[in-house]
Amino acid sequence: MPLNPSPTAGQEQAFVPPQPHEHLTSATTRNMLLIQSALLQGAREYLCDEGFVELLPPVVGPVTDPGCRGAKQVDIDYYGRRYKLMTSVIFYKQAALLAHPKIFYIAPCVRLEPFTTSSTLRHLTEFHQIDVEAADTSREEMLEICQGVVRGALQRVIKQLPYVLDELGRDPGAFTDLLQQSFPSIRHMDVVETLHKLGHEQNPDGEIDWEGEALISRQHTRPFFITDYPKGSRGFPDRESRTLPGRLRNFDLVAPEGYGELCSGSEREGDYTRVIERMRETGENPAKYEWYLKTFKEGGIPQSAGFGLGAQRLTRYAAGLHSVWQASAFPKLPGVMAP
Amino acid sequence: MTRLSAPGLPEEAIRKRARTGREAAFPPRASYGRRLFGATGQTAGQRHDALDALRLVPPVFMPQRLEKLVELGREPVYQDVALDSAIGGFRSPLPVFITAFGSTRAASGDLGVPLSRQAARLGLPMVIGENIVPVNGYGRLAQTPDSASLLARISAYVQEVPEGYGGVVVQQCTEDADAEVWNLVYSDPAAQPLVESGRLAFELKVGQGAKPGLGGMTLVDRSTAEQLRDHYELDAVFGPGTAEAATGGDGEGASLSYLRSSSPGTFTEEILRQQVRLLRNNYPQARIWVKLHPGRDVAQAATVAWRAGADAVTVDGAEGGTGWAPLAFLDGVGLPLVECLHRIGSPAGDLLASGRMWEGSRAVKAIALGATAVGLGRAALLAVDEDTESGLERFVACLALELRLLIGALGKYSPRAVGREDIWPTPDPTARTGHDEQRSLHDESV
Repeated sequence: MPLNPSPTAGQEQAFVPPQPHEHLTSATTRNMLLIQSALLQGAREYLCDEGFVELLPPVVGPVTDPGCRGAKQVDIDYYGRRYKLMTSVIFYKQAALLAHPKIFYIAPCVRLEPFTTSSTLRHLTEFHQIDVEAADTSREEMLEICQGVVRGALQRVIKQLPYVLDELGRDPGAFTDLLQQSFPSIRHMDVVETLHKLGHEQNPDGEIDWEGEALISRQHTRPFFITDYPKGSRGFPDRESRTLPGRLRNFDLVAPEGYGELCSGSEREGDYTRVIERMRETGENPAKYEWYLKTFKEGGIPQSAGFGLGAQRLTRYAAGLHSVWQASAFPKLPGVMAP
Repeated sequence: MTRLSAPGLPEEAIRKRARTGREAAFPPRASYGRRLFGATGQTAGQRHDALDALRLVPPVFMPQRLEKLVELGREPVYQDVALDSAIGGFRSPLPVFITAFGSTRAASGDLGVPLSRQAARLGLPMVIGENIVPVNGYGRLAQTPDSASLLARISAYVQEVPEGYGGVVVQQCTEDADAEVWNLVYSDPAAQPLVESGRLAFELKVGQGAKPGLGGMTLVDRSTAEQLRDHYELDAVFGPGTAEAATGGDGEGASLSYLRSSSPGTFTEEILRQQVRLLRNNYPQARIWVKLHPGRDVAQAATVAWRAGADAVTVDGAEGGTGWAPLAFLDGVGLPLVECLHRIGSPAGDLLASGRMWEGSRAVKAIALGATAVGLGRAALLAVDEDTESGLERFVACLALELRLLIGALGKYSPRAVGREDIWPTPDPTARTGHDEQRSLHDESV
């Protein structure tokens, strides 16, 4: 019997979020939006206190972040040329360091994620990132900043909106460890070993898969970092370790209780030759990145580190929501047509 | 439709198979009883290269035939040869797949969709070549997808393929990477039946047999050249002022002034290793294939690909076909397929071989030298060109019959059982025999 050729195949079990008039008027959504607003205020306050300058994010450009696992970029016809909607503003963050050494955006991202992500509860096709970048900064320094942003954001919620957390049934005690203790760092290779011991088949050369991530997330009571991902798992801007070849000077921040990944970050590759080599290792055509390479070579983009923290994912974790679509006013899920 | 030609192949013999099917494996029926047959020293299209020059040599004593005899409780015959094969993570009713045809005009429009349909009905895995999306488009937003588009070829395949068999393998070259062909296919609703049933693969094209070291080439007219200028190198080889332009060229080709070249892409061991790993990382539900040109380090490259987790490595011998290539490359560049297979020796993974595949003995010899399966390229296109409804199906029926006759004659009953001992002159006396042993090596190393 032939396969089902229906153009909607693969979407049959897809969850369709409620209509805007139902979603926006529900108590959960109203409370979520209060929490989201407080989280963004808290993050902004922390970053501004640390000397970061907030910039307005670019939305379209000739290229965008290629390091998004299997997700399609959105092409637009820009006066007859192919432009992209930003999957992330990573290249613009690096270039913007030519103006100020510490910058951040709260930036919209659009990624046409594969249908498989609809089962993860934490993928939207349209979302926002708190996108931070700092010149002459090491990964370890960036881990401190990332931790500071998450703490600052959550402290604002706990201080200002305890009754909202209560209405949502979210126990503020869930954040006690987060506020009192630093976030631990675990190397990717050690996570792989732990997962193997738990009987989970994790590819040692790739991303921690979603099932593995959920397993490891449930073992923690506060967010933690996974560092040193292998090269074949991430895009070319992530810098390869000079002392541990094949390992990247990058990190993910993973929320506890099964909420999973909140953020990815890295030291950026600062050597022009290595950038070109890393482009090829990730199957990219350097010619496509002409403006970035030119700015890199001629403009002298400084060595930097940075991260992108998912605003809706952070909201989901803070509010204790089941799925990330609940953390968006106008949720867009892979393959589902929605306003 | 313009009739295709393929001077490097026994075209008429291939077309006859596409017209008549299984009977083309034998001399004409009318000659029976009136003509006596024996070795001719040369049959149509044979003894063209080193693979043709080898002979399959059945032994006198056949222990595996005895095993089959015991299993069946009667004397085995050629119909007992089971051709069902696992090819790069897919299941195929015979050790055969369809190799890549990209944007080259010969495979565009008229033949691409019929080829997809027939390959699907046969349950054969099919590779769709590079450059289609930048040149012919994907076809998603069109009311009726252009028959040359990638979506049209995938959709035609999905509609006809039987459950449990076949698979679609989508190539991506450097220019395709700009169009994100793999991302596009992986998240396309039309491809979901393939993704969900484990019948989608992505092939990293490192090179091809007909022009090792070069990327894909096509000829285009001026207006197409203008559209493609952002994505490809264009060279007015047949432009105004050239001798070809002065004589007007021939027919439809007269307006094709520009050579459009894809970049071949830069590879080192580390680049290949990491690209394969990234593919596995980004598309966990897809199989990963790698296609190599017949380079002098082909064995090393195949090993890197397998160790990085490739589900199959295709080696395209220098005899391989193409839609367009410089003359200097066709007879003077790249290793012949048989030398590639010798250099690879016992493969540490699924090894797929292509290059002038059109009849059974060539296929069985490649399998004996380590290949898991062989790829049909020009022969498949000619068969479809001969009859767009059933040409390939008849052609493959003939090929399947020959495979059964040849493998059964060796006293073996599956392609996996065929080994170097079945070849004369014996290629390498130290090489291990039979693919089952090679597979155990693969299991340990990958």
